[in-house]
Amino acid sequence: MSEHVIQRMKDLPSTHLLGSGTPMCAGCGGLGALHEIYDLLGTRTVFVNAAGCMTLLSVYPFTPFRGSWLYTAMASAPAGAQGVRDALDILLEHKRIPPEDDLSTVVLTGDGAAYGMGLSATSGAIERGLDFLYLCYDNEGYGNTGQQFSGATPHAARTSTSAGARGYSGEKKDLFSIWTAHRPVYAATVIGAEPLDLAKKIEKAKRLTGPRLVLALAPCPTGWDFDPQQTVEIGRLAVRTGIWPLKEYLDGKVVHTRVPHPRQPVEDYLKTQGRFRHLFEPARNEALLGEIQARVDAYWANVE
Amino acid sequence: MTRVLLTGNGAAAWGARLARVDYVPAFPITPQTEIIETLARWYDTGEMRGRLTLLESEHSMITAAGAAAATGVRVFSATSSQGLLYGMEMIYTVAGWRVPFVLVNVSRGLASPITLESDHNDLLAARDSGFLAIVCATCQEVLDSVLLAYRLGEDPRVRLPVIVNLDGFTLSFTREPVEIPEAARAADFLPAFDPQGISFRASQPSSQAVAVLGGTPYSYFRYETHLAALNALPVYDEIAGAFEQCFGRAHPAVETYRADDADVVFFMMGAFATKAKAAVDGLREAGERVGLLRLRLLRPFPEARLRALLAGTRGVAVIDQNLSNGKGGVLHTELASALYGMRDAPLLASFVGGLGGRDIGAEEFYEMAAVTRRAAQGGVAPAPRLLYTATELREMRKLQAVAAVERLETGGGQ
Amino acid sequence: MYRIRFHGRGGQGMKTASRILGSAFFREGYEVQDAPRYGAERRGAPIFAYVRAAQRPIHERGGIAQPDLVVVADETLTPIPAAGVLAGVSARTVLLINSAESEDAWKARLNYAGRIVRLPGGGETRERAETATIGAICAGAAARLVGRISREALALAVDDEIAALGREAAEKSRERALAAFDALDFAEGCVMEGEAHDARGYAAPEWVELAAEAALAAAPDIRAVATSVEVRTGLWRTLRPVIDYDHCKGCSWVCSTLCPDSAIQVDAEGAPRIDYDHCKGCLVCVAVCPPHAIRALPEKDVQQAQEATA
Repeated sequence: MSEHVIQRMKDLPSTHLLGSGTPMCAGCGGLGALHEIYDLLGTRTVFVNAAGCMTLLSVYPFTPFRGSWLYTAMASAPAGAQGVRDALDILLEHKRIPPEDDLSTVVLTGDGAAYGMGLSATSGAIERGLDFLYLCYDNEGYGNTGQQFSGATPHAARTSTSAGARGYSGEKKDLFSIWTAHRPVYAATVIGAEPLDLAKKIEKAKRLTGPRLVLALAPCPTGWDFDPQQTVEIGRLAVRTGIWPLKEYLDGKVVHTRVPHPRQPVEDYLKTQGRFRHLFEPARNEALLGEIQARVDAYWANVE
Repeated sequence: MTRVLLTGNGAAAWGARLARVDYVPAFPITPQTEIIETLARWYDTGEMRGRLTLLESEHSMITAAGAAAATGVRVFSATSSQGLLYGMEMIYTVAGWRVPFVLVNVSRGLASPITLESDHNDLLAARDSGFLAIVCATCQEVLDSVLLAYRLGEDPRVRLPVIVNLDGFTLSFTREPVEIPEAARAADFLPAFDPQGISFRASQPSSQAVAVLGGTPYSYFRYETHLAALNALPVYDEIAGAFEQCFGRAHPAVETYRADDADVVFFMMGAFATKAKAAVDGLREAGERVGLLRLRLLRPFPEARLRALLAGTRGVAVIDQNLSNGKGGVLHTELASALYGMRDAPLLASFVGGLGGRDIGAEEFYEMAAVTRRAAQGGVAPAPRLLYTATELREMRKLQAVAAVERLETGGGQ
Repeated sequence: MYRIRFHGRGGQGMKTASRILGSAFFREGYEVQDAPRYGAERRGAPIFAYVRAAQRPIHERGGIAQPDLVVVADETLTPIPAAGVLAGVSARTVLLINSAESEDAWKARLNYAGRIVRLPGGGETRERAETATIGAICAGAAARLVGRISREALALAVDDEIAALGREAAEKSRERALAAFDALDFAEGCVMEGEAHDARGYAAPEWVELAAEAALAAAPDIRAVATSVEVRTGLWRTLRPVIDYDHCKGCSWVCSTLCPDSAIQVDAEGAPRIDYDHCKGCLVCVAVCPPHAIRALPEKDVQQAQEATA
C-alpha cells in the first residue's frame, strides 16, 4: 500500500496489485478504475460485491484479488460489509485477532444495484455510520445482462430496453446527491481516465472513517457501443464536456475538483458512442441534443 | 440451574445468551421482536458481550449474519414469516457459504392474507435451503435447541447454519417454567466459537462465496452441502446424547410419546404436538392404542429413524400445519416418501389444520385417530382432510356478508 | 441429424451464424435447434454456438459432443484447450476454418484426419469493426457444405436474422454469406449426417460415491491470491500492441496506469513491459501513448513471424 501523498502523475504506482486475467471485457472502464483504486487501497481490504458485471471477477478457482473478497447478492452488499465490519470490530475489541489482521471494507457495486435495488441497504449502512468505502462502477445500465436501462442511464441513451428513436426517456438519477443528503463523511465522483484526480480522492477517502462514496463513471465498450481503445478518450470527453463533473463532498461542502474551461459541446462526447448514434443519424436530432446541452449548461451555471 | 417462567421468545434470548453470541444482526417483526429487544438490553447492560446491529431489512440482516459468520464470530439472529421470506434469497445463499450460525424463526402464517398467528409454511419455505431445522414444542426446548443448534452447526463434519423454530403466540408469547442452565455448564457443552479456517484476516486473504460456471463445480458444491446436512443426522444424535448427559434433558430427533405399542400414531411438529399428547392420553384412557411421533429435526430428515419407529404401526394421522397449494400437506409428502417401499408400511391419512393459529380441538384429534384407524382397517387411504367445521363456515359466511355490504357501500357493486 | 458447432470469439457473431444456419434449415423444412453457449467471458473471449437439424423432431439437448461440422471463425482459437474447437471430432467431421493458410498446412498442424475446408474471404476481416460479418460468412459457407440449403433459403435466413441491424448491415451480410456459399460449390454436401447414440455397447459412466469433505475445501472459497493470472486472456487478442522502445519516452505511468487489465508493468529501468499472456488487445495503450510509440499489429501476423523465426 502506498502511503505517500500523490501530487503528480509520476507518483502513481507503476506496479499493479489487481491480478490480470479477469473475464471483464477488453477496454472495460470499470475495471480500469478498479485497478487504479486497488493499487491505492492495497490488499488489507475485503471487497464485498453486489451482483453485476464484476461478480465474475472471481470465478472459482480464479480471483484477481491479493486481499479478500465476498460475493453477496444484488441488493445487500452494504449489509455484507456491515457484517464483516462488525465482526472484525468485535474480534479486535475482544483481542481475538491482532490489529494488523484488520481489513477495511469496500463495497463494489455496479450502477444497477447502486441506483436501484441496493439503495435501501446503502441508505441503511450510511445512516448507521458504517465505516466502509462504497465503490460504484457506473456504466449507466444493467451491463452484465446486456445493457438494459437502469436508474443511472442518461437521457436519450439507447439501451436494449430503450431502443426507440428517442432512446431512454428518463433522467440519470443523482446518486451523488442521494449520498450527500445522508451527510456521509465523504463522497466523490471519479473516472479512470483521470487517474491523478482519482488517486487524490482515494488517498483522501482512505484516511477517513465512516461511509464514503466513490462513484466512477465507467465507459463501457460493449454497452455504449464504441471501440475498446476509445475508453480513456471517451472518459476524458465526459469530463471536458461537463457531462461527468468531477467533485467531492467533505465537511458538508461540495467542491468541483475540475471545472472544464472552456467546456466542449456535449456532442463531442455523444457522437463517440453508438448508444447516441440516433441523435446524429439519419438526421441530427437538434431538439434532443439541445436538451442535453441545456441540462449540462444549467448544471454548470449553478457551479460557476 | 434455576427454573423460571419464560416466554418462548425469552427462552430463545436466553439460549443466545448462554451461547455467548458475539453478534446479533436484527430486524423487528411480530411475533419475534421480544427476542431482539431482550438481547439489545443485555448488550446495553453488559450482561452480554458483543454487538447488536439493527439492519434495515431481513434481507440485509441475513446477509450481515452470513458475512459476520464468514469473518469468524458466533452469530445469532431471529425473524418470522414475511421476514424470513424477505430474506429468502440470502437464506439459500449463506447456507452455501458453509458458515454456521443460528437463526430463530418464530412461525407465523404467510400472506396472503396477511395475518399474525402461527403455522409452518414460513419454515417450510426454507426447507430446501441448506439450513438445518430444529422444530420446538415447548419453551424449554427453545432454549435447549439454541445450544444444540450451535454445537450441531459448528461441528466440523457439518458447518451449516441452523434454524430453531418456535410457534408464534403459542410459544413466543406464552410463559412456561424453563430451566436456565448455569453459564459454566453451558460453556462446557458449547465451547468458544472456532472459525475452522473460514474467516477474513489480513494475514490470510481469501475470496469467499465466489461464482462458478458450469454444472460440474456447481453440482460438487451443492452435493457437498447436502452431504454435510446428512452428516448432521448422526452428529445430532451424538450431540443430543451429550446434552442429556450434561443437562438431563433428552431431545431426540424424533420424539415419541406412548408410541411403542400404538397401532395408530399422530405425526406432526411444533407446539400443537403437546395438544396431541393430551389427546393421546385421552384416547389411551378410552382404551385406544394411540401414540405420537413428533418431528424435531426437519432437516436433516430422520428417514431411517422414522421407518424404524413406524415398523408395526398400522396407521399414521399426519397433521400438517402448512399447505402446499395444489398438493397438500408437506409432512405427509415427506413421510410418504420416507416410507415408500417399506414392507408393511403403515397407511397414511393426511390432515391439514392449524393454519394461521386456527386451533385443533381435542375432538378433532380423537376423530383423526378414528378416521385413521378405520382407513388402516380398510386398507384405503382417505382423501386428505382440510380441518374446518360447520360452525367455522357459518362464522365465515357472516364475515363475508359484512364484507359484501362494505363493498356495496363503497360503490363497488350493483 | 446434422450437428454443427461454430467457434469464435465474443463479438464475432457466432450466435448470429448459428441462427442464420438454423433459420435456413428451418426454411428448408427441417426441425432445428440453435443456441449460443455463454460463459463469464466477454467480447474477445472464446465462445461457441451450435445447430442441430433433422427431418424428425429433435430430442437431444445441450452442447454437441460429436459434431459433423466444426466451423472456426478465428483460427487463433485452435491451440486453446478451453475453446474446445477439436472436442469430439472424428475422421468424418468436416472442419471449416477461417485462415489464409492452406488446408494441408492445417491438416499437418492439427494432425487432422477429416476434411478441412477454408472459409472463403477469410483473412479479409482483420478490422475489428468488420468482425460482425464473419458470422454471416460462416453461416453461408456452412449452408453450402451441408448441401441441403438453397441459395434462396440462405438469403432469406440472413434477412430473418440481420434485419434488426438495419438495411445496410443486412445487405452486406447477405452479400457476404452468398459469396461464401457460391465459392464453396466444390465442397457441396461434404458434411454427412451423424448417427444417433448407440444404446448397445456403450461405455458406462464412472459414477463415484461422493463423500462429505471438510467445509474448508467444500465451500466455494479461494484461499490463494491473484489466481486469475492462470487465465491467459492474451488469447482473446486479435490485435497486439507493440511498444517501439526507440520512441518510448518512459512516461510509463500513462500506459501502465490506464491499461485496464494490469497488463503493463514497469521494469527496473522504468520501461513499460506488456504482458502478452494477459493483454486482451483493447489497445487503450495505443490510443493514450503520448509519443505514439505503441502500434497495433494483427496478432496472427506476429505469431506467424514468431513461428518463422523459431
